[in-house]
Amino acid sequence: MSDNTTAASPGVTGAVIAPDQGPEPRVMVRAGGAWALLVSELTVLFRRRRTWALLLALAAVPVLIAVAVRLSSQDPTPGRGPPFLDQVTQNGLFVAVTGLIVSIPLFLPLTVGVVAGDTIAGEAALGTLRYLLVAPAGRVWLLVVKFIGAAVFCLAATVTVVTAGVLAGLALFPIGPLTLLSGDTISLAESFLRALLIAGYVTVSLLGLSAIGLFFSTLTVVPVGAMAATIVLSVVAQVLDSLPQLEWLHPWLFSHYWLDFADLLRQPVDFSSFGANALLQGGYLLVFGALAYGRFLTKDILS
Amino acid sequence: MSRTWVKWMPAVAVPAVIAVGVLAVPLQAGAATDLPEKTPREVLELVAGSDVDTFSGTLEQSSDLGLPEIPSTGDAQAGEFADALELLTGDHTVRVYRNGADQSRVQVQDTMSERNLIQNGSDLWLYDSADNTATHLTLPDAAGAPTSPEKAYTPGELADTFLAEVTPTTIVSLGENTEVAGRGAYELVLTPNTTDTLVDSVTIAVDAESGLPLGVQVTAQDAAEPAISVAFTSLSLDAPSADLFAFTPPASATVTEETLPDTTGHADKTRPDVESSGVTVVGTGWDAVVLMPADASGAGLAELTASPLYSQLTEAVDGGRAVSTALMSVLVTDDGRVLAGSVPVERLQAVAAE
Repeated sequence: MSDNTTAASPGVTGAVIAPDQGPEPRVMVRAGGAWALLVSELTVLFRRRRTWALLLALAAVPVLIAVAVRLSSQDPTPGRGPPFLDQVTQNGLFVAVTGLIVSIPLFLPLTVGVVAGDTIAGEAALGTLRYLLVAPAGRVWLLVVKFIGAAVFCLAATVTVVTAGVLAGLALFPIGPLTLLSGDTISLAESFLRALLIAGYVTVSLLGLSAIGLFFSTLTVVPVGAMAATIVLSVVAQVLDSLPQLEWLHPWLFSHYWLDFADLLRQPVDFSSFGANALLQGGYLLVFGALAYGRFLTKDILS
Repeated sequence: MSRTWVKWMPAVAVPAVIAVGVLAVPLQAGAATDLPEKTPREVLELVAGSDVDTFSGTLEQSSDLGLPEIPSTGDAQAGEFADALELLTGDHTVRVYRNGADQSRVQVQDTMSERNLIQNGSDLWLYDSADNTATHLTLPDAAGAPTSPEKAYTPGELADTFLAEVTPTTIVSLGENTEVAGRGAYELVLTPNTTDTLVDSVTIAVDAESGLPLGVQVTAQDAAEPAISVAFTSLSLDAPSADLFAFTPPASATVTEETLPDTTGHADKTRPDVESSGVTVVGTGWDAVVLMPADASGAGLAELTASPLYSQLTEAVDGGRAVSTALMSVLVTDDGRVLAGSVPVERLQAVAAE
């Protein structure tokens, strides 16, 4: 905000303040350089128990679906419950698809909100933010690293749901050639390819939310606040998306294309929603990335 | 101070650039395209002379008929009636593939499901992924069907015939050239020559290169936006992949075999059947009204009025119940006659009273 802190910011001026040889082992690793910062960010992220707890909770969703369908005495009827649920008994691969559909409105945004909201505010709350800025890489790179960390978590979260779904399906149901929405049947190898495509689609879908979380995280030193704000916003966006009166707004909501990954289950593959979604998420990434840049580079780092 | 300002620059610049981009793209698409000048007759000739029969493309359909929204997860009772209404009233993305006269595939994309219609030679498949059902029909041999008499005309003659037929009731003109699915197109505008109809104008976009109609818009009286709009959003004139048309229903699907009533040779008789049932058309052109007497509608009508949707959709008017949409009105009189037309309800009531 004020001039003097900006000038003192090492990220901008490139000046290196004498490294504080604090007791934090994490900071020691990070002093190594730009790439070391990224490596350490990812290591820290995936060493945290919280990250594993989030991933485990996500993995439980498709497993629960599979077990519930397996244990129930009658097959699910078409048109009731989440889409594709009736297909699960015929082909276990649909456990992964149903798992994703169930996770997308709440569980995935929830976990991504927790990780993205924690990025900067979490470090500030722990008092480690200024140590991170000691590294010569600077504030911009720290923002980029934090965003990459959140994006990698999006990928990990999506892949977790898909993998857990496929494994649960494999264990409890027959697995064979996959029937697409168009009624065509594709081989097992191609269906794994489609599953990967879907995982990619959902990962891209969550990038906009990650950028929003990153921006909120630069606004506060209370990580819970940034997490809650991100999650609330994702719910609000979905509520707005369901109101027909706001139809003009719908294509602008970051959650608008979230469930359109079903277009990847058509024959031939319809990439138009993939493109539209990527463009939209890219827009959110740029806008909130720029906001986070403005905020973080002008911010007084006190902790 | 200036440094702070510089750092907030991207946060201002990025949305600005996006806004400019968003505003510029439709402007560019809407800009009049440079096409050789043509008269409406020449454009009609272009359409009549079009010989495109291989293409693949995506159609966007949107309707704003002023009908109440049909709940998509309707109860089973609503059944096929609701299905048909949904196709009319909702917005849809449809992919169309065509390879010659005997191979085509239409895919209606719904969220999380899809409806397919596949024609491959004499095989016709309908597949609905929402309830995983497939229906198979065998079409009568196409070779036996009589070739349409239009084949004998040249495109120019066809254009003349069409013009001569529509001119008394319709003004045919050309709108500004547009761009549909990235292709330059002429815009034929048909305007009714009467004010006693709900239709304000019908606009047909015609591909300047191939003469293929690329889009149709029907605008109602006093409406700014078209009530029905169907247009390609992407189009390729290359032949689609052959395996698209080789459809085998999935093993898990419920397959029903249906046979078409044998109509070969009876084609001419269907018309008298309709006429003997007493269906009459009052008036000609845009303000024509179709009148179905009570005994002709019979069981079909009883089934329809029993549907819970019927009372939701219709409103009580003098002499019966009516549905009025932006483009069409239907009046079911108390004595069981059905009147329909692209006219205001008042005109239907007037015809019913005659």
